[in-house]
Amino acid sequence: MTETSHGRVLDLNMHLLDRQVVDRDGRFVCKVDDVELERGADGAMYVAKILIGPRALGPRFRGRLGVWVRAIAERLSTDPIPTIDFAVVEDIGSAVKLSASLDDLRVAPLEDWVRDHIVSRVPGSRHASE
Amino acid sequence: MKLLQVALGILTAIGGFVDIGDLVTNALVGARFGMSLAWATLVGMVGICLYAEMSGRVAAVTRRGTFDLVRERLGPRAGLANLIASYLVTALTFAAEIGGVALALELATSVNYLLWVPLVAFFAWLLIWRVNFSILENGAGLLGLALLAFGFALWRLHPDFGHLAHQIIAPHKPGSERLTTYWYYAIALFGAAMTPYEVFFFSSGGVEEGWSRKDLMVARLNVYVGFPLGATISLFIAACATLVLKPRGIEVDTLSQVALPVAFAAGKVALAFLILGFVAATFGAALETGLSCGYAAAQYFGWQWGKFVRPRQASRFHLAVLLTLIAATGLVLTTIDPVKITEYSVVFSAIALPLTYFPILVISNDPDYMGEQKNGRALNFLATVFLVIIVVASVAAIPLMIWTRAGQ
Repeated sequence: MTETSHGRVLDLNMHLLDRQVVDRDGRFVCKVDDVELERGADGAMYVAKILIGPRALGPRFRGRLGVWVRAIAERLSTDPIPTIDFAVVEDIGSAVKLSASLDDLRVAPLEDWVRDHIVSRVPGSRHASE
Repeated sequence: MKLLQVALGILTAIGGFVDIGDLVTNALVGARFGMSLAWATLVGMVGICLYAEMSGRVAAVTRRGTFDLVRERLGPRAGLANLIASYLVTALTFAAEIGGVALALELATSVNYLLWVPLVAFFAWLLIWRVNFSILENGAGLLGLALLAFGFALWRLHPDFGHLAHQIIAPHKPGSERLTTYWYYAIALFGAAMTPYEVFFFSSGGVEEGWSRKDLMVARLNVYVGFPLGATISLFIAACATLVLKPRGIEVDTLSQVALPVAFAAGKVALAFLILGFVAATFGAALETGLSCGYAAAQYFGWQWGKFVRPRQASRFHLAVLLTLIAATGLVLTTIDPVKITEYSVVFSAIALPLTYFPILVISNDPDYMGEQKNGRALNFLATVFLVIIVVASVAAIPLMIWTRAGQ
């Protein structure tokens, strides 16, 4: 990774894809399942968004497995693919650190569903371990 | 305080080293092959020390668990294949541990183990759900020290230690056993000592407890002192079986036969301690394998995991652990003999070993992550030698399993 006047030059495979994303409090958000690129005014490619979830990850499996994962995931959800704007990325180290809080991002519908419908109903889910 | 922390860590590592796989495999092999396969346990011990230290160092420096980095290094496709294989092996081990706890409780109470299984499963879930990580780890590890009853029994048997040592140093296959069976059990012992979940758990535990670079010394002491002492218990088990079971032609296919030498040589009180040790060691390992299944899945998919947050903040992780627990309990309740599950789980562990250990070696050499803490040359040389051994054992395991009909 080298710094240029326009930003950081990244090897997507080595430095970004599949890396853990953590929020400003150190909580785990997701993996960088895929990214959306945009061409800047200078003609260079910039990372615009982090794409999240099986519909983003599926195509990266290649082959029939990828087609299946994506097809199943698309049947399970018609909402847009969850994304994180790259503007909130603060640092890229052994994890991708965000300047935002997990609670404001709302990028994990399955986590929300499992929490609201299953885990919250079990006694003790709100308490820290003793 | 620091000294106390170090001592506690080492004691935990000793007690935590032995699980149902080590108990059954060491006794079984001791009863059939004497000490002629002890070398496999010793080789496995050196391997687990090397790789657990690496995974702990990676966790302390990067604050990432092992599986987190597996996907990053192998890519999503190979990472997923790795996840599925590692998960299945760990879940199978989880089932074996639950069955082991139930069998140990049957030994103590004469109540059929199948009646204990649901209770054991529920209690394991309750602890994972509610109890602090350090208490889980240290509690099980310390109570597991009761397995030293094997050492006491060995001492009471007044063996010719020189003769036992000679059998270890100059291994000689018993004439009644075939060479393929001998190597099959060498791989089983190797798999039992190096079970993959141990490194998932060790590295994820490092993240749970918030290790940083300054905790590295403590982590290293735990590994380099605690694990070898834990492996000594494995050797005690094998030696007890060699002295008591082998001369009488008793083969091990139940947990009570594992305990027999202790009851024979050291009496009731030692047996009571031993059963306590069985329960603690297998129950502790049940918690470790259950958590490890959740760790592996959560770290691959990037979910919040761990006991350092409230359960509702790591919903998918806790659900994954719960579903695994239900599946593992279901498997034991089919009345498949838990000792058989154990025998297979250690061999499947050996088959899955390269999947875990290869990425750890790669990551601990990556200067991007590790900076000055990356592997030195001597360590890399040793670790590479071990990787070759691991791959050979993994490739040979299935043909040997078929050839020997799983060691018959």
